[in-house]
Amino acid sequence: MTANAIQILVDALSVGGLYALTSLGIGLIFSVMRLANFAHAEFVTVPAYVMFALSGHPALMSIGAAVLTAVALALAVERIAFRPLRRVDPAAMLVASFAVSMLLQKLLVFAVGSRIVPLDPLPMLGEAIRFGGVQVSALKLVTILACVVLLAALTWFLRRTRFGLEMRAAAENFTMSRLLGVRANRVIAIAFALSGVLAAVVAVLFSAQTGFVQPRLGVQLVIVGFVATVIGGLGSLFGAAVGGLAVGAAATLLQAFLPPELRPFREAFLFAAVILVLLVRPQGLFPARGLKERV
Amino acid sequence: MTAHIGTADIGTADRSAPLLEVEAVSVRYGAVTALTAVDLAVGPGEIVAVVGPNGAGKSSLMGVIAGIVAPAAGRVRFRGEDILGQPLERTVRRGIAFVPEGRHVLSGLTVLENLVLGATVRADRAAVAADIDFFLDLFPVLRERRDQPAGRLSGGEQQMLVIARALMSRPALLILDEPSLGLAPRITDRVYETVAEVRGRGVSILVVEQNAARALKAADRTYVLNGGAVRLSGTREALAGHPRFEVAYFGLADAEHEGAGGQEGQEGK
Amino acid sequence: MIDAGTVRRLVPLLLLVGLVLAATLLAGTAGIVVQRRVTLGLINLVAVVSLYVFMGNSGVLNFSTVGFMAIGAYSSALLTMSPAAKATFLPDLPAWLAAAQLHPAAGALAGGMVPAAVALAVGPPIMRLSGIAAGMATLSLMFIAYIVLGNWTSLTGGQQSLMGLPIYVGLWTATGGAIFAVAVAFAYQETRWAIALRASREDEVAARATGVGVVRQRLVAFVLGAFLAGIAGVLFAHFLGTLRVESFYLDPAFLFIAMLVVGGARSLTGAVAGVAAISVLTELLRLTEIGVPLPATGIVVATPPGLGDVALAAAMLLIILFRPQGIAGGREIALPGRPKAAGRLPRTRSSR
Repeated sequence: MTANAIQILVDALSVGGLYALTSLGIGLIFSVMRLANFAHAEFVTVPAYVMFALSGHPALMSIGAAVLTAVALALAVERIAFRPLRRVDPAAMLVASFAVSMLLQKLLVFAVGSRIVPLDPLPMLGEAIRFGGVQVSALKLVTILACVVLLAALTWFLRRTRFGLEMRAAAENFTMSRLLGVRANRVIAIAFALSGVLAAVVAVLFSAQTGFVQPRLGVQLVIVGFVATVIGGLGSLFGAAVGGLAVGAAATLLQAFLPPELRPFREAFLFAAVILVLLVRPQGLFPARGLKERV
Repeated sequence: MTAHIGTADIGTADRSAPLLEVEAVSVRYGAVTALTAVDLAVGPGEIVAVVGPNGAGKSSLMGVIAGIVAPAAGRVRFRGEDILGQPLERTVRRGIAFVPEGRHVLSGLTVLENLVLGATVRADRAAVAADIDFFLDLFPVLRERRDQPAGRLSGGEQQMLVIARALMSRPALLILDEPSLGLAPRITDRVYETVAEVRGRGVSILVVEQNAARALKAADRTYVLNGGAVRLSGTREALAGHPRFEVAYFGLADAEHEGAGGQEGQEGK
Repeated sequence: MIDAGTVRRLVPLLLLVGLVLAATLLAGTAGIVVQRRVTLGLINLVAVVSLYVFMGNSGVLNFSTVGFMAIGAYSSALLTMSPAAKATFLPDLPAWLAAAQLHPAAGALAGGMVPAAVALAVGPPIMRLSGIAAGMATLSLMFIAYIVLGNWTSLTGGQQSLMGLPIYVGLWTATGGAIFAVAVAFAYQETRWAIALRASREDEVAARATGVGVVRQRLVAFVLGAFLAGIAGVLFAHFLGTLRVESFYLDPAFLFIAMLVVGGARSLTGAVAGVAAISVLTELLRLTEIGVPLPATGIVVATPPGLGDVALAAAMLLIILFRPQGIAGGREIALPGRPKAAGRLPRTRSSR
């Protein structure tokens, strides 16, 4: 393999990994309550600003604060905004999540302004690593590693723990699970908390790659996350992860190999792919079980 | 007109301390009335059947008891406590295990995981493990397929699984909605053998059936539901020899093919 | 041949048009700043009504309105700008387009027709989708429009602002546009097609079973909605005189959907009420940011800038939470004591 090919591979995996974490955060919530959560964008942006506020403190401390903030925010949003709407149809919840997202975004603009601020949560990873003749960014390698570890941890949680079992049951048939004694509020709260953890990790890794924060930081990510979730199969966590990876890889490859005059349009191809997938396989490439709109 | 709408109770079963009491429950969906002032009781250790043709309101009645359907009027008491309007996950914590129509195994989860979920409300881990072992012994086919997704089981095997899963919560009352629907007679026999065995362990059972003959044989007492109201009820012995039950019984058996309207009219006259 | 029944059917339309005219006349007596705000509000009304035509009648979520607005705005701009202006800002235009300069009315017509044609082309497959899938697909449409227009530099100027558009939209032009949109939406919702579409909104399966061509009926509404959205874009473009793709992205998409949901997506009255309520709220919040002098003290109380946006988003969330059926609650406006116009619609609330 040439050095160039390795570079592209690392790029594709690190971008795809971030997208996979984002779409998993969205997919977790969608699978248990059929909510496509726009506000996930702010679950990413807000902790990034927390890290900015804690710039200069030890990295571990600011990352810890970011995770706690994201989890608290996710739980608060669920409790205040989504719980009352749970019995309303999914479209109303989607609009409500849009409103929550806007509210949090405007709050951020109000509190810290809309300008871009520099942020480097992982300064120790600024160096490139050399393998023979190949230079690879340490940050990108850590990103890939972090994504693999998180995916494994999430899989373990879902497969091997009591709450994980309850979540999988709730994702498949919410009413039946409740009849078996699974507490709806608790399962949904756990899903939001996990979603917050994933969002905070994305905030750390993504802002480390871009080197800045602004109030719209999470929006672009979440839009891509939606795309990935739809392509992978709404409600299927495996599909969400694969979809995120695929979209990240596709974006990197399109960027690398598309003729220069078409490169600016590469995201348009992605969205066209979404529509195509919805038409050909409305349940996505990896359809979830029991995906009935909830009654 | 009102003569046959109320409960015509001709049984003599012990009703001194009922486990479950349904009082004057009515259900409406928009303009459609599904149930009108239905009364029903299940005593400790009893097997009670509700029979009736398609659309008689059986599933609505079970839905009300399980907490899925909100009634327009009436009360449901379990061990003397009012249980209406509670969150769904409370039902099983009170000791009511509900097996809805259509089986509803969690098809992506393994057989074992389904059973473990059945014990969600229990904290006694060792006893749970013992119970799982017990049911895997009771239904050896489930043991064979313990680690396979439940969706791959046959219809009969799924029915065994959901009953076992419901019993994993160690309920006081087991509600079965149409357990024989779509099953071969031999498997239905097995289901009802299990029901008898479960009762022997002190669990009360409320079973809904379209198959009236089967239900009558298994139940201590039977309610005949038609057009959203109880038309007749009583013990097996009382109903078996009762002329009015004969009419209702055969009428209902016919009704599966010809619709209930005509039969209901006859009975009313 | 106007009988009492016809008049009664037209009551909501007449009242809504009267409301628009009242706003205009009131604004006419005020200063230029208020006039411009009201003009912008009326343009927003056209956009929200266009959204209502599809979303209100079909019950299908639609995020694509701002995309069609953008297409309409750029179409009209390209056809009505002077060749000199185009040579300055868009030097790479194809020759025929660089030389074209149509009458504003012809440009406006094109600004409606081009989005309608695009909707007709992309609509048929998308109309098969419902629920979340439809939301995702129309959201994707919006992003595609944004990305393509934002990067097609030779045609739109890309990320740069496009300047030099003829400015011919003022208060009364916008009023005309708003009345036109309300009238078209009203006329449409009285047709048999729209009634069939609303039947499918209540129960898609039943409507399909009774032979209502749901996909075709939705497409009709989608194309008509895209036409009106294009008109809204035209008005917007020739009111400001400059265009940026950013003006047709998430913020307005959210604003329009929020206006419709707040007012009540199930009636035209709801669309108008939502625009009115949120516009007034926005205006009040803007006033408090400028500062309100407390009488007899000489102290001016002002809220910090940005708080208005926060309050607006919060207000929308509260309305969605506590009155999910919106201000109008699915009804059309009526004279006091008259039977409610929407009474003939099935009033099922099965969806919640």
